Amino acid sequence: MKLIYILSILFAFLCCNLISSKDILADNKYSEIEVPDGGTIIGNVKYMGELAAVGLNLYRGWELSDTSKLNSEKLVFSKVNNGLKNAVVSLKDITQGKKTIIPPVHPIIDQQNNNFIPHTIAIVSGTTVDFLNGDEQMHNIHTRSARNQPFNLGTTYKQRISKTFDYPEIIKLTCDLHKNAYAWIVVLDHPYFDTTDRNGYFEICDIPPGTYTFQVWHEELGNLEKEVTVRPKETTTIEFVYSQN
Amino acid sequence: MKPKVLLDKVGFWCATAVTSAALMLSIAPMTASAVNIPTEVTELGKDTYKKYCSPCHGEEGKGDGPLARSMLPKPRDFTRGAYKFRTTPSGSLPTDEDIYRTISYGVPNSTMIPWDILTEEQRVSVIPVLKSFSEAFEVRKPDAPVTVGLPLRPTERALTEGKKIYEEKLECWKCHGVEGRGDGPSAAEQEDDFGFPIKPFDFTTGKFKGGNSAQDVYLRFTTGLNGTPMPSFAKELTDEERWCLTYYVMSLIKPEETKK
Repeated sequence: MKLIYILSILFAFLCCNLISSKDILADNKYSEIEVPDGGTIIGNVKYMGELAAVGLNLYRGWELSDTSKLNSEKLVFSKVNNGLKNAVVSLKDITQGKKTIIPPVHPIIDQQNNNFIPHTIAIVSGTTVDFLNGDEQMHNIHTRSARNQPFNLGTTYKQRISKTFDYPEIIKLTCDLHKNAYAWIVVLDHPYFDTTDRNGYFEICDIPPGTYTFQVWHEELGNLEKEVTVRPKETTTIEFVYSQN
Repeated sequence: MKPKVLLDKVGFWCATAVTSAALMLSIAPMTASAVNIPTEVTELGKDTYKKYCSPCHGEEGKGDGPLARSMLPKPRDFTRGAYKFRTTPSGSLPTDEDIYRTISYGVPNSTMIPWDILTEEQRVSVIPVLKSFSEAFEVRKPDAPVTVGLPLRPTERALTEGKKIYEEKLECWKCHGVEGRGDGPSAAEQEDDFGFPIKPFDFTTGKFKGGNSAQDVYLRFTTGLNGTPMPSFAKELTDEERWCLTYYVMSLIKPEETKK
């Protein structure tokens, strides 16, 4: 009888240890709460740099600006409103907010015509991404992440590879056989983020009221930050402008 | 029971035990698992690293020692935790035995010599020092080593099958060249994770960097080489196909090239 007691105490102790160690390992600052009166932020990311009005600037004469950046997916913006594509807008240092939903349908990065499609995706940590190969030739998927386990896998036609990203990080994805092909995966530890569409628009909803720092990340143009006050059940419009090159 | 019979019986069992023990030892592979690898950084390890490793790999393991400038391939930068020759899947950290193997056998075609001039104790003591340079070892754990299937017999059919994989399925020739000389169309533009140019391996030389046995070659394209453009083909090939490719790649060795 005594033995059983001792054993049960030991077992309980072990369980506690296991649970506490798991908590430490998770290293998650973000906590989930109910957000009944969340506000919404919509906005636009614009590029007003040197290359912005290419083709429209009549004063440049015969000296055309360097358009090599425009031919790749490095810098894609709308000709109509200069809205910047493939920028990731997120809230910085948010500690609590809406429930994190890990998408049950895996986001896809496809390789078509020696290019990654889409070019940039933003995901919440824990999401599994599927990598496809739509070309009838060999490709490889090579990441150089530090916290998430990096990988370098060869893929043939119609191959599907699933990988889970558990830690917040900005990861570059390359194909070594085709040097021009690369993509970005932005992993964040909270669900308040969006990737801009081809006109530079984004929308982030259900934000608990308060003042936050919003951050934009773009592979070529770097980071921008802005303080914004979110009011309950209201939609606020903001604008980010990249004026440098 | 008579004492003599008893003695006989005991003697028989003793002999059986000794023989079976000897057999067990001979069957067990002579790998590093027989070696005791320390988990903590020791003074001996630090001294050995400083004396023998840091001239190339640098005091802080960044691969920037005073001799590194004149070398290509560059000495490994340990801060990323990216090790080329492993038994673990692509991207994973190496096991301690993998590191020990590379230290002991060296890397042919590079300036990394086999460090069997050091004692086993010295070689082993360096491993925790190397691991302490990268924070990856604190965050992640090495995955379980991949299982190597039973070798296929290197028949004519296996070679034709291997050739088909090399030329059509995986298109290895894009980097390694049709004849395996490392001169494929994509060869010139390859660079490693640290931004240094890297040459695809020339199979004709026969000096395989991760070891010359069929099993070593099998492991190289199953696990990939971390930090280089060489991917892992773990998802693409069945076990049989891998052995076929292994034998085909080894058949590309040219005897006259190996003497150079």
